Amino acid sequence: MRRRGARPFFFFPLLLLLLLPSPAQPGNDGYLAELKGEASLRRLQDDRYWDVLLFYKPAAGGRRSLVDDPKFFLSPGGKRDPGAELSATLDAMFDDSMSPPARCRFPARYEWLKETLAIDPARMPGPDCPELDNTLRAINPMSASLIFASGHMNAPASMFGHTFLRLNSAYESPLLSYAVNYAATINPKDSGIAYAFKGIFGFYPGYYSILPYYAKVREYAAMDQRDLWEYRTNLTEAEVRRMALHIIEMQGVYMDYYFLDENCSYDLLFLLEAARPSVTLTDRHKGFFVAPIETLRSVLAAGLIDNVVFRASTARRIRHKAKEAGEAEVAIAKSLASGDVAPSTVVEEPLPPQSKARVLDLAADFTHYLYLKKEIPKDAYQGRYLGILAARSTVAGPPPESRPLPVPAPPESGHLVSRASLAAGVHDGSAFLEAAYRPAYHSLEDPVEGFNDGSQIVFSEAAVRWYPGDEKVRLQRWDLIDIVSLAPRDAFFRPVSWKVQTGFATRDFPGDVESLVYELNPGGGFSWNVSPLGIAYFLVETDLAVSGRFDHSFALAMGGSAGIARQVSDRWGVLARARYVYGVLGDREQGRRFTGSLKFPFRLSRNRSLVLEGDHTEAPSVHVGTIRITWNAYF
Amino acid sequence: MKKLLVMVAALSLIVAGSAFAAGNTGCGLGTTIFKDTQNQSTLVQVVAVTTNGTFGNQTFGISSGTSECAQPAKVVQNERLNEFVQANLDELARDISAGKGETLSTVAELMGVPAGDRDAFNSKLQANFHQIFPSPGVEYAHVVDTIVSVSNQG
Repeated sequence: MRRRGARPFFFFPLLLLLLLPSPAQPGNDGYLAELKGEASLRRLQDDRYWDVLLFYKPAAGGRRSLVDDPKFFLSPGGKRDPGAELSATLDAMFDDSMSPPARCRFPARYEWLKETLAIDPARMPGPDCPELDNTLRAINPMSASLIFASGHMNAPASMFGHTFLRLNSAYESPLLSYAVNYAATINPKDSGIAYAFKGIFGFYPGYYSILPYYAKVREYAAMDQRDLWEYRTNLTEAEVRRMALHIIEMQGVYMDYYFLDENCSYDLLFLLEAARPSVTLTDRHKGFFVAPIETLRSVLAAGLIDNVVFRASTARRIRHKAKEAGEAEVAIAKSLASGDVAPSTVVEEPLPPQSKARVLDLAADFTHYLYLKKEIPKDAYQGRYLGILAARSTVAGPPPESRPLPVPAPPESGHLVSRASLAAGVHDGSAFLEAAYRPAYHSLEDPVEGFNDGSQIVFSEAAVRWYPGDEKVRLQRWDLIDIVSLAPRDAFFRPVSWKVQTGFATRDFPGDVESLVYELNPGGGFSWNVSPLGIAYFLVETDLAVSGRFDHSFALAMGGSAGIARQVSDRWGVLARARYVYGVLGDREQGRRFTGSLKFPFRLSRNRSLVLEGDHTEAPSVHVGTIRITWNAYF
Repeated sequence: MKKLLVMVAALSLIVAGSAFAAGNTGCGLGTTIFKDTQNQSTLVQVVAVTTNGTFGNQTFGISSGTSECAQPAKVVQNERLNEFVQANLDELARDISAGKGETLSTVAELMGVPAGDRDAFNSKLQANFHQIFPSPGVEYAHVVDTIVSVSNQG
């Protein structure tokens, strides 16, 4: 599963040898030898907690640490030799010539050894660790929360979400707590494609970081329009302290970051195991893709979570307030934010104070948002923002709480992300049976609860079809990637909607011939929430199809599609689409085609659904339709 | 080979990281620290959001430090308060103008305002918004000092 082979690196061990401790001071030699003897007698190097602290996982010929940074290991062979690392750690603890002292640099290892071997601190060299004490005092970890950031509205791949930890301090306000994040540190000079490649194949180093929670709230909730779910764990103060020590130990230490498995979410699980080693979290994930939602589910299943708090993104709050305010007030708020109207005029208008407060709050939030997105320059922002706030401060008292913001379904309430499907239907007068499988993640026809409405990301879905009377089963389609992002535009936010789909699909050709073609189909456009239709969209599309059946072996067509996606109730929805493309290059004749489709997805339970659908295609000498019913199981 | 690439990447990041760090945004409203992705192309940003990558150096930002801006008067020796107000000036201004909000209640907590006195504290600050935030270029030191003196008035 892990792909990294043996890579002897030559100069690090040499370098480390130079840095290795000089022999411990004479008085402690005996005590150190005694401790080492006891450690090896009790086989502490095989203790589960040692595995957790050093990130050891079973590997060919023993165990190997997932940490790739040589400075994390005190023994030159530490990455593959837990025993040597343990011995070198004990040596280092007794070496007062190191700077910083090993017990300050690796406090979690030190605490565990001290406790397990009942080390007498009086018989060790004892420089204190003032920096460590300061850090701990600043963080003041009392409890911990697991934070789940939902997907970015217009980046469907981010709907995998992101998880990080929050070390809750004694302060009541969570803003004063610190967030612990694990992320790849990427090269800003790389292009997007290089970035994706490097991210997936582990070319970027991943680091843990600690930042104030208010900075993370600003990053996710204010700037990225991502909601935050704060899952409070039941870890005790002692457990959280252990975890904090371990995090400090990981400061500046890198692991190669793999987007698919050794990613942000997976590596956080190690921290939770360091807090409470009796739960096993990292061993539960053995697939090739570890989605943040899966790690959240395993943390929930392990019984680590007490309760959850929802923190709505700024965009969600602005939309909610706008709904409360109504069109007239929204128009005023927008003209305030754009600087067209002076805030004082709102105060003078004969509006009820509640309306004034609402308009000015909305204008302030939106102005701040525009500035964070760099859509207005700083000098214009400063005066405009302050003007709006100054006007707001003259409207006495907070407005009475209107309808509270509706809390969406939490992410763990969504369906599981792998899907197997069975379908029966009729295509062009012939009955067929079909089976399909996709490893991840969510499509528009799947139950939307717990996912972003209007977002779809499908990886590698393959379908095989069998017509009774046929000798064999045929590959019907293989969608390598099928992403759709329908981000509705409203008074405040003007996102672009887009799609990209590529893979192999069966097409009908004149003379009742079917053939597998390779397709690449990107598109871009707009969508809106239109009551009662749901999300209504139109996209301009290009469609490249490659097959020997085309003249010149390909057909490039351009055109567009329009459709609606509506969740009628939490049980069922409607997806309707019409699409027309016109051949422009290659086989222009066969490039031309019209397709109309209608789907009714029906949710049976959280992980079961039915889809009833029909479609019709018109192309030169091709007039075919399909009707089918599909049963989906998510696991 | 990969190890070498990682080393090269790490080295280039140190260089890039220091370039980002150099972007000091000053003091006053609108000096909120920006995420590094803001300087990237749209495509890179989309991918970064997707995979939760970060640009520049991943830090242990235990204390953001408040030294480059003017310091509050001696009465306020509350480093945590100073740091929080400086880093959340825009959000605090919004909360004070509305007389409520999480940033405002955090400031109240840092100042040790008892729960029972919070409403009065909020109203007092809202009523004195012009004094606390007299101009767009207002520095956090003035904000902290004025909040303290306003809240101490009878």
